[in-house]
Amino acid sequence: MNLDDALQTFVVESHELLQAMEEALLDIEHSADPVESINAIFRAAHTIKGSAGLFGLDGIVAFTHVMESVLDKVRDGKVSIDDDMVALLLSCGDHIKALLGGLSGGQEHIDPDMASIGAALIERLSVYLGETAGKTVVTAGHHPKVESAAEPKVESMGGGFVETDNWHISLHFGIDVLRNGMDPLSFIRYLCTLGEIVGISTSFEAIPPAAEMDPESCYLKFEINFFSDADKATIEGAFEFVQDDCIIHILPPRSRIDDYLHLIQELPVEDMRLGEMLVRCGTLTQRELEQILVIQGANASGQVQQQSPIGEIVVEAGIVHAPVVEAALEKQKSVKDVKAQESRLIRVDSEKLDNLINLVGELVIAGASASLLSHRSADVQLQEATSNISRLVEEIRDGALQLRMVQIGETFKRFNRVVRDVSRELGKDIELQISGAETELDKTVVDKIGDPLMHLVRNAMDHGIESTELRQSRGKPVKGTLRLNAYHDSGSIVIEVSDDGGGLSRERILKKAIDKGLVSPTQSLSDQEIYMLIFEAGFSTADKVSNLSGRGVGMDVVRRNIEALRGTCELESQEGQGSTVRIRLPLTLAIIDGFQIGVGSATYVVPLDMVKECLEMSGEDRQKSREHNYLNLRGEVLPFVRLREHFREKGQAGPRENVVVVQYGSQKAGLVVDELMGEFQAVIKPLGALFGNLKGISGSTILGTGEVALILDVPSLIQQAASSESKMALVQA
Amino acid sequence: MAKTIMIVDDSATLRQVVSIALRNAGYDVIEGCDGKDALAKLTGQKVHLVISDVNMPNMDGITFVTQLKKLPAYKFTPVIMLTTEAGEDKKASGQAAGAKAWVVKPFKPEQMLNAVSKLILP
Repeated sequence: MNLDDALQTFVVESHELLQAMEEALLDIEHSADPVESINAIFRAAHTIKGSAGLFGLDGIVAFTHVMESVLDKVRDGKVSIDDDMVALLLSCGDHIKALLGGLSGGQEHIDPDMASIGAALIERLSVYLGETAGKTVVTAGHHPKVESAAEPKVESMGGGFVETDNWHISLHFGIDVLRNGMDPLSFIRYLCTLGEIVGISTSFEAIPPAAEMDPESCYLKFEINFFSDADKATIEGAFEFVQDDCIIHILPPRSRIDDYLHLIQELPVEDMRLGEMLVRCGTLTQRELEQILVIQGANASGQVQQQSPIGEIVVEAGIVHAPVVEAALEKQKSVKDVKAQESRLIRVDSEKLDNLINLVGELVIAGASASLLSHRSADVQLQEATSNISRLVEEIRDGALQLRMVQIGETFKRFNRVVRDVSRELGKDIELQISGAETELDKTVVDKIGDPLMHLVRNAMDHGIESTELRQSRGKPVKGTLRLNAYHDSGSIVIEVSDDGGGLSRERILKKAIDKGLVSPTQSLSDQEIYMLIFEAGFSTADKVSNLSGRGVGMDVVRRNIEALRGTCELESQEGQGSTVRIRLPLTLAIIDGFQIGVGSATYVVPLDMVKECLEMSGEDRQKSREHNYLNLRGEVLPFVRLREHFREKGQAGPRENVVVVQYGSQKAGLVVDELMGEFQAVIKPLGALFGNLKGISGSTILGTGEVALILDVPSLIQQAASSESKMALVQA
Repeated sequence: MAKTIMIVDDSATLRQVVSIALRNAGYDVIEGCDGKDALAKLTGQKVHLVISDVNMPNMDGITFVTQLKKLPAYKFTPVIMLTTEAGEDKKASGQAAGAKAWVVKPFKPEQMLNAVSKLILP
C-alpha cells in the first residue's frame, strides 16, 4: 500500500473532521443535544490523533493529544464548556489545519511561528487539565513526549517505515519473562537512561480470556518510539538479559540512513559479506546478524535450497532500512568490480613501457640492418631467417605500441562534470553527448590532449552556445548540445568538439583580423582560412571577457599544444547552426609504417597511412608542369611540390620522375620524387631544437644501412603545394 | 524503601567491592559466602535480586539457584550469574536452572551496576 495515497486520505478526512468540529462548536450553545456535539468534537480530535500516529506525525499527535485530554474531561463532565473554551478549540482547529498544511513528502514541517502558536494553545488548554498539565510537555514540536496513547501510533502500513527522527523498538516479551524474575518495566525504564521514550503503546492482544490466563505468564508487547543519540548496539544492550526469550526489533531512525550510507561508502575496499558490512556500519548488530543467519539456515533447509538473501530478511524483519541494504549491496558490487579489474590488469610504470618501446625501436633498426645485409649476401637461407625475424619484430612492435594505447573514453567522461558545472555557472542548459569513447590512442597523446580539449569545451559553452533566451528566440531547442566525438581516419585519430550554438561570424572575424592587422583588407580568403584566424595569438571575438574564456589567450595555445603532438586543427562552422573543431592527431608518436622515397642522393620517409597512390610522371605532364604546379589526376586538379627543388637537391632530375599522392584530411597533393623505395618501419627520432622551425620535416629515422632519413611533414607540404599553386594562378591571372 | 540484593561469592574481596558499589547506588546488600550459607540466610525476607558466582565450595551456584527457585518466596527473584569467559557450558546450565542474566568475570563495579539497573531500579 502506498503511504502517499493514505496520507492524502488522511488530510482530506482530517479537514472534514475539523469542519464538523467547527460546526459542532459553533452550534453547541443552541444544540438540542450538547452531549452529542461534544462527542463529535472529541471524535474529531481523537481520530486525527490516531491517524496522525499511523504516519508518525508526532507534532500533530502531541497537539491533538492535549486537546483530546481536555475534551475527555468535558465529556466526563469534569470541565464545563464555555465561550472561552469554544474560542480556544476553534483556534486549535485552525492550528491543526495549519499543521496539516505544513505536511509535504510525508513529513511535518513545523516552522518556529507555528511551533510558538502551538505551544501557546497547549498552555491555554493545559489550564483545563489542572494538575495533569505538567506531565505533558511539548518542546517546539520536535520531540514531543506523549503519554501512553491508546492507538498503536508507530505501526506503519505495508511494511514501510515510520518517517520520524525516532528509533522504533518493537518488544515482544517471552511468556516466561516474569517467571524468570524479569520485569518488563525495568527494561523500559533502563531504556529511559539512554534517551527519551517519545511514544509507547502496549498491546494486550495476546492476553487470553481471564479463565485461561496464567498470571505468571507475560503476554505483553510494546511498540516504542524512542529518541536517542545512542547507537544500535547500546540500545540493544538494554535488553541483553531478555533477548533470548523475546522478539526484539530495533529500527533506526530515518535520519540515520544518511549516516549509514556514508559509513558504507567509507568502508575499506575489502571483500565483505553483506551482513558484515551492515554490522560494520552499525545498522545491524552482531546478535541480529547471528539470528538472521539462523533464520536463513532454517529457511534453506526447509525449502528446496531456496535461500533468501540476508538483505531481504533484514528489510522484511524491519530492522534495517531498504536504502541502507541497497547501498551496501552496491558497495559490495563495486568492491567486487574493483577486485575483478585489479586481477585483470597489471599496473606498470609508464617509464618501463617507454624503455621497452625505445628498445623495440632499436630492434627495428637493427633488424632492418640485418635484413639488408642478408639481401646483399645472397644467401637464401639467411634471407629467409632474417625475413622471419623482421616479421616477428613487426609483431613485437605492434604489440609494444598496443601497450600504450588507451581508450579516450576516460578523458571524455571527465567532461560530464565540467559541462554540468560550467553550464550551471553560465546559467545555460547544456547537454554533453559523447561518442567514439572506445577509440584508442597513445597514452602520451591522451595525457596532453586534456588541456586543449578543456579549453575548446569551455569556449564552446561560453561563446558557442547561446543563452536560453536567445535560443528560444531563434527557434532552437532550449537545451544546448555539446558533442565530443573520436574516430580513426587514415592513420590518425580525429577528435571533434562540436556545439549547436551560434557558429562563427565570418564578417566579425574578418573585421577583427583586419583591425589587428593579421590580414590586409585586400586579401581574399576562403571561409576555412578565415575561421583558422581564431587560432592566431591574441585573437578573440568575444565582446565581453568572462573568467572562462574570451581573453584571446587560449585558442592559439590550443593550436600550439596540438601541433606539438604533430597534430592539426580544423574548424568548420555554419552561422546560426553551430561549429565543430576537429583535432587530427597521429596515432602514435614512436614508430610508424613509412614509405621510403629517394630524391637525388637523399632518402625521405612519408608516413604510409598518408600515401594514397603513386604514379609515374608522363613526359607530357613533365612538359606542362614546367609552367604550372599542378597535374591532371583523372580530371582532378592535383597541386604538387617538387621535393628536389624544395630541398634544394643538387643535380638534375633523372630521366624518370614519380609522383606520390598524399592525403591529409580532405586535402590532397602530389610529391614529385626521383625514386620509390617501398615500405619501411620508421622509428621516429625527434629532431633537435635547432630544427624546430624547419618547414616540411617532422622528424628523422635511421635506415637499415645506418643512414639517417628525414620524415616528411605531409600536412605542411600539402599546405605549401596548395598555396604556391594559388599564388601562381594569381600571377598568371 | 531500598531494594535488597544478595551477593553470593566465595571471594570476600569480590563481595566487599560489589557490596560497596551497590550500597553507594542505594541498594541494601546481603552477603553469602557460598550456596549453602546463602540459602541459610534467606529466611523469607524480600530480596529483589540475587547475584551468584558459579564455582563455590559447599554448594555451587547452579545447585544454589535450582534450590532457590524451589522456594516460593524467591521463585520470581531475578538472578545474575557471574560466569567466566571459558564457562559457556556453565552459562547454559545456569540458564536452565533459572538464572537468565549474567555478567562475565572479571568485571568493573560500574559494569555490575549497569547490569543490575537493567533488572531493577534502586
